[in-house]
Amino acid sequence: MSTPLDWKGYEPVLIPKISGLHQIDIYEKNGGYESLREVLLNKTKWPDAVSVVNEVKEANIRGRGGAGFNAGLKWSFMPPVDGGPRYLACNGDESEPGTFKDRKIFEYNPHLFIEGALIAAYAMSISTVYVYIRGEYRSFIQMMEKAVSDAYAKGYIGKNILGSGFSTEMVVHSGAGAYICGEETSLLESLEGKRGYPRVKPPFPAQRGLWGRPTTINNIETLANVPLVIKNGASWFKTIGAETHPGPVLYGISGHVNRPGVYELPSGMPILTLIQDVAGGMRNGKRIKAVIPGGSSTPVLRGDALEGVNMDADSLRQAGSMMGTAGMVIMDEDTDMVEVLWRISKFYHHESCGQCTPCREGTGWLEKILDKIMHGDGETRDLDLLLDVTTQMEGRTICALADAAAWPVRYTISRFREEFEARCRKSVYALA
Amino acid sequence: MAEIIIDGITYEFEGQHKLLQFILDQGKEVPFFCYHPSMSAPANCRQCMVKVGQYVKDRETGAYQLDDQGNREVRWFPKLQTSCTLDMTDGMVVHTQETDTLVQRAQKDTLEFILINHPLDCPICDQAGECPLQIQTYKYGPEGSRFEVKKVHKPKRIELGPRVILDAERCINCTRCVRFTDEISKTNQLTITRRGDKNYPITAPGEVFDDPYSMNTVDICPVGALTAADFRFKARVWEMNQTPGLDITNGKGVNVDLWTRDNLVLRITPRFNPDVNDHWMADQGRDVYRLYNENRVSRPSIRLEDTKGSMDDGVAQVKTSWTNALDTLAEVLHENKASTILTIGSPYASVEENYALQKFSSLKGLPSPFFTPHILEGSGDGFLLTDDQAPNTEGCRLLGLEEIDTEEYKKRIKGASVVLMLNDDPIGRDILKASDFKKPFVVVFATNHTDTAKAADLLIPTTCAAEHTASYVNVEGRIQRTFPAKETRYTNRRLDLEMSEGRLDRYGTTFDNWVTEENRIDCKPTWVSLSELSQRLGIPFSFEHARELVAELSSQHPAFEGISFEKMDEERGILLRRAELTT
Repeated sequence: MSTPLDWKGYEPVLIPKISGLHQIDIYEKNGGYESLREVLLNKTKWPDAVSVVNEVKEANIRGRGGAGFNAGLKWSFMPPVDGGPRYLACNGDESEPGTFKDRKIFEYNPHLFIEGALIAAYAMSISTVYVYIRGEYRSFIQMMEKAVSDAYAKGYIGKNILGSGFSTEMVVHSGAGAYICGEETSLLESLEGKRGYPRVKPPFPAQRGLWGRPTTINNIETLANVPLVIKNGASWFKTIGAETHPGPVLYGISGHVNRPGVYELPSGMPILTLIQDVAGGMRNGKRIKAVIPGGSSTPVLRGDALEGVNMDADSLRQAGSMMGTAGMVIMDEDTDMVEVLWRISKFYHHESCGQCTPCREGTGWLEKILDKIMHGDGETRDLDLLLDVTTQMEGRTICALADAAAWPVRYTISRFREEFEARCRKSVYALA
Repeated sequence: MAEIIIDGITYEFEGQHKLLQFILDQGKEVPFFCYHPSMSAPANCRQCMVKVGQYVKDRETGAYQLDDQGNREVRWFPKLQTSCTLDMTDGMVVHTQETDTLVQRAQKDTLEFILINHPLDCPICDQAGECPLQIQTYKYGPEGSRFEVKKVHKPKRIELGPRVILDAERCINCTRCVRFTDEISKTNQLTITRRGDKNYPITAPGEVFDDPYSMNTVDICPVGALTAADFRFKARVWEMNQTPGLDITNGKGVNVDLWTRDNLVLRITPRFNPDVNDHWMADQGRDVYRLYNENRVSRPSIRLEDTKGSMDDGVAQVKTSWTNALDTLAEVLHENKASTILTIGSPYASVEENYALQKFSSLKGLPSPFFTPHILEGSGDGFLLTDDQAPNTEGCRLLGLEEIDTEEYKKRIKGASVVLMLNDDPIGRDILKASDFKKPFVVVFATNHTDTAKAADLLIPTTCAAEHTASYVNVEGRIQRTFPAKETRYTNRRLDLEMSEGRLDRYGTTFDNWVTEENRIDCKPTWVSLSELSQRLGIPFSFEHARELVAELSSQHPAFEGISFEKMDEERGILLRRAELTT
């Protein structure tokens, strides 16, 4: 099913190797803000906003924040303009453990993202763009603020952009350290200055989002792809990487590899290639025990089941996992899976917002049982209880955090059951 | 008309409905905690989950698609839905816990989750017996617990404000209290703090939960997390009798329930009336339970001659018999010139009492009664608090009592030889001073030892709103009535059919409950006292029960035409025509 990719000749486009690209002058010299200029001024190629939406829809940029939804299609859900305010919220809350890709865009190519966000704002007739960045990224927030003010100074943001008559504002907003605020509706609540509680859907943000007005929420990396699509066309974009999940992807590789880091490569890269060739192989030549392909909530894959698995939505679904954010965590044979799972569960317990009952109580229960097992006090029946609890949590809450907390438990136990059982006392009692 | 099929039964509906409210309106049940009909639905308890689907229709013909057996094909939603937030649509198919094991399982699972960190201290919890969590756990919950690890510990006994105490461990984070301060009282004093299983409602640091409606959060709390500072550990709910009544602390006529045990009112909670107070009441209306129990005038008192016009805590008043009191009164009325005898109505007394006084004075040939309203400008809030401090000002006006201002009131007292006054407190209200009572012989029909009662020459104890059946007219002209919640010396719970029956009345013996004789006040309704007085004076005035007065008003007084207690009960009060107020 997989054709070998010519990844070695791939030239990065999201984070190209140009020094000082984060400065607006250098970005402009390298063709920066040309796509925006095209979209706003070239009326023969881009007669109206709808043509931009259609091009992006055609390119099939699947959302890089984890859900993998076609970005252009999402844009087309915005209701017709009614004169009231409309918003674009750019999700840079990047908090999923194992994920560290958006920071590279903030750091090395912020203007590509800004340009993408401005094109998106034009395509959906939006006059205010919020860039929501997680509070821990303080230095990146400052860099983004500088980049935005530079773009303001050059007239790319603000009133009557490039004399086109289109105006939009951009605000950088700092999060306050809650994982849940990366969920799109609680991000909106947080932007409104409220507690980061996810909202009940429907109504969806496109109908009633920020302050009750139509709102679109896109991931930073998703928006950074937009100027490339406008510049080179949807057909070019679709030639990159996997057919059903095209485009460049920022792979964040961490764990027991020799060269961890963020690598920009086409989508659909074989996982083994990423580990062996891109990330320089396993540390100390150890064997691969487990791979979490897309951030801690995606189901873990066994090291002996990685042959032929590629980093695209379809291939990973067949293998029993998900693309997520492409934040890969590689673990070698010495890893204690019980402790890994305990640590992941501890994270979700800590980050559950506490709104819905199954997640509020379930995440804590999972962590406490795993803690017991890790300390050797568990029994094998506790494993079944863990699986039961995950069943009770999945699909019963407002947002997907309960699922995100339940899946790692379900799949780590089912795929590494022998390791868990070895840590537990037997739940069998002598009849005497 | 649109159709919905719930558990195999087809219901027709029109307009927009949320599924849960619709199911409840049909008299069926789906368990829930966070939903409240008067507030927004956050869908956070996840208890009201149901299985929902839609009949599949052919796009072109609009006909229902059938399966192999010829039944209509249903396309089920992939997940269970929270019925509180779900909009009903035509052709919707719903399975509740009554017909679907998946729904039963989901509801049981949610209850298991809620209970794992709940302290399960029902035996010492005030909410026990009226606790939705307890009730629903018995009905839908798991049989035992699989939770073998340590529960989360949170702060206990936090005084959120002067009237509300929080036990955060019992809290199930339904956010009803937070939404109440956001949406109903609009003080925004509460919020949820912390995250996950550590969260609980609290005020901002240093802030006090002094919302004038704060105790409603105690009523709507589905567990024992919020308790009333005043009522904590006072009584178990199943020991008390619940009797409908009215809030008498202002002119709004808020509907309440009086909770009594052993003839003491222990707490007052709001009673649902969509036309007056919805589910809510102000805190001030709850404090009056003390007025019903404490400092009551029991047995008539008469003043010794030499302390006239002073107010020395009733020391100078001595208890006397009803016979002596009424004989004295008859004598006083007989000896003085009729034109110098004042009869004063009261906005604090019921329609029946004012009418009885009005009728008595006309039969006796006394000047007709007047009253002065008790209005405090600016104390209303446009919600449930009114400027009018009395429960029956409008009733006095409808009866046609002369309305005078306080200056005129003072003047008339000065010129009088005898004052016959219904339950009111002109001295406490700063209209009069005790010394104004030097000259006239003052008779007060009083419920409590107010300043006025202490200065009176003759004190006739009278029943309060918790002891008699009587009606009051609120500021909007709505006439509503009370039920007797407490026995007096002259009434009996087992004989008076209007008195409520509690669990112990039905299953216990007399000695389980109503045993303390001091709690039964020696007082009579004003119309009964006036009837006994009339007998002595030879006037044809005799009323045993308020019903007789209401019947007479209904047939003879145009403003009250057609009223009856039954109609008031059925229609949640009757709006009297305001046009007739002026005539």
